[in-house]
Amino acid sequence: MNTFEVLQKNLAHLSRTHPRRRAAAVPAMQNLQAELGYLDDMAITKLAQITGLSTTELEELATFYSLIYRRPPGRHVVQICDSVCCNMRGADQLLESAEKYLHRPLGAITPNGALSVLPSICLGLCDKAPAALVDGEALGPLNNASLEALLQRLQKGD
Amino acid sequence: MSTILIDGRTIAFKPGDNILRAALEADVEIPHFCYHAALDSLGACRLCAVEIKPKNSNEAPRLTMACLEPAKEGLEVSVSAAAAQQVRRHVIELLMINHPHDCPICDEGGECHLQEMTVTCGPPYRRYRGRKRTFTNQDLGPLIHHEMNRCITCYRCTRFYQDYALGNDLGAMRLRNEVYFGRFQDGPLESPFAGNLVEICPTGVFTDALFRQRFARAWDLNTAPSICPHCSVGCNTLPGARDGTLRRVRSRTHPELNRWFICDRGRYGHQYSEHCARLLSPRVSGENTSYHKALNAATTRIKATQNCIGGIGSAREDLEGNTMLQALLNEVGGVFTAFNDPALEAATIAAVSWLQNSAGAPSLIEMEQIDAALIIGDLTAHAPMIDLALRQAYRKGAELTLFHSSPTPLAQFTTSAITVPPREMYAKLSHLCTLINALLAGRDISDDPMAVIAKSLIKARQPLLIGTIETLTATDASVLAKLAITLGPNARLTYALSGPNAYGSALLAPEGNAMQILESVETGKIKTLIVAGNDPFSDPRFGLRWRAACRNLNTLIVLDCILTATAEAADILFPVAAWTERGGTFVNYEGRAQSFLPVFHRPEYLPSAADVIADLAKYLECSRQDVLSVLQDTFPDFQVPAPGTLGSPIPVSLPPISDSPSAGSPLLSSNNSTWQTALMSWYGDETLASFAPGLTSLAPATIAMIEQATATATGIVDGSKIRLRGSADSVVLPVQLNQNIAAGTVGIGRNVLVRLGLGHGDPIELEKVL
Ligand code: SF4
Ligand code: SF4
Ligand code: FES
Ligand code: FES
Repeated sequence: MNTFEVLQKNLAHLSRTHPRRRAAAVPAMQNLQAELGYLDDMAITKLAQITGLSTTELEELATFYSLIYRRPPGRHVVQICDSVCCNMRGADQLLESAEKYLHRPLGAITPNGALSVLPSICLGLCDKAPAALVDGEALGPLNNASLEALLQRLQKGD
Repeated sequence: MSTILIDGRTIAFKPGDNILRAALEADVEIPHFCYHAALDSLGACRLCAVEIKPKNSNEAPRLTMACLEPAKEGLEVSVSAAAAQQVRRHVIELLMINHPHDCPICDEGGECHLQEMTVTCGPPYRRYRGRKRTFTNQDLGPLIHHEMNRCITCYRCTRFYQDYALGNDLGAMRLRNEVYFGRFQDGPLESPFAGNLVEICPTGVFTDALFRQRFARAWDLNTAPSICPHCSVGCNTLPGARDGTLRRVRSRTHPELNRWFICDRGRYGHQYSEHCARLLSPRVSGENTSYHKALNAATTRIKATQNCIGGIGSAREDLEGNTMLQALLNEVGGVFTAFNDPALEAATIAAVSWLQNSAGAPSLIEMEQIDAALIIGDLTAHAPMIDLALRQAYRKGAELTLFHSSPTPLAQFTTSAITVPPREMYAKLSHLCTLINALLAGRDISDDPMAVIAKSLIKARQPLLIGTIETLTATDASVLAKLAITLGPNARLTYALSGPNAYGSALLAPEGNAMQILESVETGKIKTLIVAGNDPFSDPRFGLRWRAACRNLNTLIVLDCILTATAEAADILFPVAAWTERGGTFVNYEGRAQSFLPVFHRPEYLPSAADVIADLAKYLECSRQDVLSVLQDTFPDFQVPAPGTLGSPIPVSLPPISDSPSAGSPLLSSNNSTWQTALMSWYGDETLASFAPGLTSLAPATIAMIEQATATATGIVDGSKIRLRGSADSVVLPVQLNQNIAAGTVGIGRNVLVRLGLGHGDPIELEKVL
């Protein structure tokens, strides 16, 4: 069974307890992303068939949440928060220095496919501002030096 | 009534009003973007800031959003307070940061809400010198142009499209200052109401793509109150013309009918009047000639065939044209009907009679309030704005039940949708009637699969029964009416009729005239046939007979503004003015007469059908030649309502329909082995609109639709080809399997029905093509 079929089956079970299939849209997207790394147009189209939402409705959700990727990210993903608290504590400089250090704009993948840095909406880590999510792990407070060290490690890593 | 004070002015408000709604209803302007009377408040734009005076003098005044603050008795509100003005200035400055400032080349320029608000409340100069955020636009199809950089994130578009019109292919993507309003991928917007985005968007993000091809500034357009000629709803419109050509159609508010909106057929169907094959010169025997010579020719022929004359008016011809034709025929000894299809004539007269002998049809705003409905047929294709009204009822929790033969967009909003072959509609409705009677008599019917429907209709506070007449017989229409009577005085009954003036035309001649005329033409008793705004040759069921019969005629006289098959065959052809080029009166599905004015005139002389007939009457030296006096004679208690008003009921009553099925006997279930046809319609499917290239470019593909189980049983697979044979011709079409078509039924479009010479519900031969 491929991922789509598994999802379809899981959703079929779900419908008894959760008659609103639409409610399963975001978990379904996360599931699929865990499998595929990101959601391409084809994935969105399949999800529409499975959940009963339209492709546009799914695109609204997918593009709203910063943890759903519509383009392939690097093997490691650093999401630096740029919302109010982090911004006040220098997130804008962190984002700038990440671009400089990697010689590429935010969102672009490093040549060996190792790493991408993305801005993010508030991560709920305001107490650690300026904060980041590194491959799903909370990190903060960061400064230029610790960020560069981190990027270097991730780039070299595997 | 309770009141609030706005800058010293006393303003009355209704319970539940917010400050902004109360102010706007009283014509007091408070700047705003995201609020819209149809969509209510959101609080997204923050432009409607006002200051509220505190109750105690030791408290500070409070700034708030007028659209979110409930109006309360005695509340003192200031729009002009310095603090409120400052908020508005900042909001505008913020919104204009990324705005492209492309007003000179923007189609919205001159009627742009953002432009007005910026001039009214914004700072006069720009401070921001940075880069602007820019977007890539989408191709949204032939009708709507997309220019995302102009967006101010008021969310009106998606609130209209998704929440109000229940569409799901336009949405708000991304977040923060990158919010993007568009589709998943490029492609035409799918909603039949998408065109309203053009009006609901306060800036130039969504603009009319057809208008764009022949653009004129809003202030350069000639406008006049008009009525949409594309269906029986009678939405109010405001067409705009310039330099002798029609450029666009917009909605015009009618508080009981269409309010702020119209459907895309009404908005984009107008291109028929700019069609390249538009008739502009009279023709006699195929040669262009002068109006005067054409009248002379017609007069001679009519005189020569006195007492052997027939006339066909039309449901899409106005009250004046139909009445004049009827009056003329009375004088020259002829027979009149407004229908070329005897079954449609019977069904329409039955429907109008039932409406007149019941509480009458509800208006659109009344339909929004019903809590249950039984819908028969494809409302979206036959009366799009009634569909939109029922979507509002659905949003408020109404239970909609649908009996349909072919797919219809409303099906997705129903509690139960049952596919019924056309020939079984009568039985289905009669059965439901029996069930309701049984339930009311206290009998247990719970093992009947339709019991739920019967119960839902009985328990409703106000159930609505609505049928689309074009796909019903007179007896079907009558059972529906009887259902309404059975359900008691709270039930409402209505029908989507076959044209903008179907109701008015049905009042003019008794049932049976259509068949009488057809037969008299066939036997040669009628020698001259005058057709005003109708196209008997393209009637699906009777077209073939009309064509054959008309070969017996001495003279076929046609008056029309489009080049129909009948017009092409005319011996004498009078081109007439399109609806935006003439005044007149339509009687809509409720029996509401609404008049309209000419919006502009073309350089060519194009009289209305009523004018042509009046001139003919003069040439023939008839005693009644004047449109107004003929109207007065025909409808003695009727005053033509002034254009731009709400219209008035037409005070004529038809005799009640007797119980015995007459000419319009029900289509009875044929033996099960034969297939029957079902008309597959879509929202652009209407005679005039079929001459509008922008709209028709969106027409669904020509296919034959068959239900899955029937197909499997007969070994037909999706995508295979079948040959369909009718009385006139045979065609080979690809098959599409679909759940939303009745068993044993082949769904085909109007064009194919016409080619085959078959009507909705006729038996059809089908064979697989290998
Ligand atoms: S596209 Fe128009 S209606 Fe939609 S949010 Fe932007 S400005 Fe408002
Ligand atoms: S619903 Fe009918 S009358 Fe109203 S705009 Fe559409 S076609 Fe015209
Ligand atoms: S603002 Fe950065 S984590 Fe909340
Ligand atoms: S109109 Fe009140 S916030 Fe937009």
